[in-house]
Amino acid sequence: MDTGFLRVLLDPGRFFEARMQEKPSLKIPALIALVIGLIGAVSTVPMADITMAMLPADMQGLGVIMMVISAGVAFVGGLLAWVICGFVLYLVSMIFKGQGDLERTMEFTGYGLIPQIFGGIIGTYFSYQLLSGLNIPPMTNPEQMVEFSENLVTILTTDPLAQIAGLVSILFIIWSANIWIFGMKYARNLSTRDAVLTVGIPVGLYILSRLITLAGWL
Amino acid sequence: MKPLNVLIISLLCAAIAFTAPASAGPADITVVSSSLDPPVLMKGDTGTLTVVVQNTGAETVAIRSARLYGSGVVPLNEPYPSVGELGAGNSKTFTFTVRADGGEGTFYPTFVLDFRDGAGNLRYPVPVQVENTPLSASVIQKPDAFAESRTADITVRVGNPRPNAASGVQVVPQGSGFTVTPTGGFIGSLAPDASGTVTFNLTPTAETDVTFQVVWRNGINTHTADLVLPVAFGEDKKQADPVITNVEVTPIAGGYRIVGDVMNAGLESARSVVISPGSPATPIDPFRVYVVGTLDPDDISSFEVTFKVNGTVTEIPVVVEYRDDDGNRYTASMPVGLGGTAAPLEEQQEDGGFPIVGLLVLVLVALGVAGAIYYSWKRT
Repeated sequence: MDTGFLRVLLDPGRFFEARMQEKPSLKIPALIALVIGLIGAVSTVPMADITMAMLPADMQGLGVIMMVISAGVAFVGGLLAWVICGFVLYLVSMIFKGQGDLERTMEFTGYGLIPQIFGGIIGTYFSYQLLSGLNIPPMTNPEQMVEFSENLVTILTTDPLAQIAGLVSILFIIWSANIWIFGMKYARNLSTRDAVLTVGIPVGLYILSRLITLAGWL
Repeated sequence: MKPLNVLIISLLCAAIAFTAPASAGPADITVVSSSLDPPVLMKGDTGTLTVVVQNTGAETVAIRSARLYGSGVVPLNEPYPSVGELGAGNSKTFTFTVRADGGEGTFYPTFVLDFRDGAGNLRYPVPVQVENTPLSASVIQKPDAFAESRTADITVRVGNPRPNAASGVQVVPQGSGFTVTPTGGFIGSLAPDASGTVTFNLTPTAETDVTFQVVWRNGINTHTADLVLPVAFGEDKKQADPVITNVEVTPIAGGYRIVGDVMNAGLESARSVVISPGSPATPIDPFRVYVVGTLDPDDISSFEVTFKVNGTVTEIPVVVEYRDDDGNRYTASMPVGLGGTAAPLEEQQEDGGFPIVGLLVLVLVALGVAGAIYYSWKRT
């Protein structure tokens, strides 16, 4: 369990301390990001089903294309999120005079995304719960489809289950942030205080924006 | 004297002897008054005819019997087969029960007094008026239209066009398919050319004919006259008219929300106004029904209802229930299209509409994350 995933989740300090003894490797973090992307792609299936149901028979081909595109975007989104998080943390840590190469930061940021796998699975479950019971009325023109889509957004933002899903995702982000604190501490050679600030500032702002959105729902 | 003249004089005397006035017998017996109760009979009525005779002479007169006879108005009995003597200056009253068997008009039954000892008799024709004109009844107030179970005020006026007074006048509603209060109206005595009114609160339960029966007495005779009021349901021009406008349908979790305005476009108040989604919609919390209360004419109020539908329902009725001042319930509905706005989620919440499973997951995740974070910092 010295380098196992469970240690990343429960004892990230010791894990990253041990990883610092080895050369940086992005293989496993990339794999984690791909898994997250894959889960994201799977989570688009219920919405794709709804889209297909909305479209008339002669436009089902277009629906398939849209479904593939959305799944692909969601898949790539996992990698993109990893890269963005890594760069943001790297840049913020520069404020606190962090020292350490970008590759190590990216590696540790990738490990910190492991909680998002669980978050993605639970989020997908909520997504299925939300969308599986949807009644799709017969639609004959594009205006109805647009109206339907707008109402669907309204539903998904007002449903208590959607709000709970939002809170759950925030919890997993907090968990990831906790791992990143230890990661930045070692990857950028920061004090614990500076590592907390390096992670806390961007993640705090992100969580705040999510909470504001949720508060608007409530 | 010639024999012919003697014969003529003898015949003249005989004629005078037969056609002489009553007083000619016992010279001083006269009829001083006569009366009839009721003063004017109707055909078939029974009345009491009273004749008063007086002996205005200085001697007692022996009377054998008193009779009444005639056609049109006939006596029902002969109560005076033997009368006796009538002293000087005395008077005697003879009462006969008569019945009007003929038609309308004035009849003259003859009162006859037979004197004893071949003294002849007294004949006196008594005028009796018979008129069949009944009391007249008319509805002087009623609603523009009747509605089922809606109470209406009906005012009936009873007039007396007869030449004599009517007594015990009352109006009794008769028929089925309605309830009425009071069940009868009493007017009492009506003098000639007088009238009286009675007001009824009539509540029809079905279209029917209501018969207002006017009952009165002419002397001891009871008569009736019917006034028929057809009760046909129609739209009251003044009744409350709730109109729903400004409707907005919004999908919500588990169903739809309809918000809108309800306005009373009628001329009467709509009371206890309640708005609810009608079948096939199933009301759901939080607004299964919306109680507006009283809507006066031209008043407007907003409302909100929440409901869910099954399948591909594209239109539901919004039902407005209200009452009038009498408490009668009315229902109006307006179809509201869901159309392309439909995107409800099926009920996923348990126990009051909150997703318990989701909440449980949230709590477990929170505990797990908190435990992991606590553990990670404890290890450092």
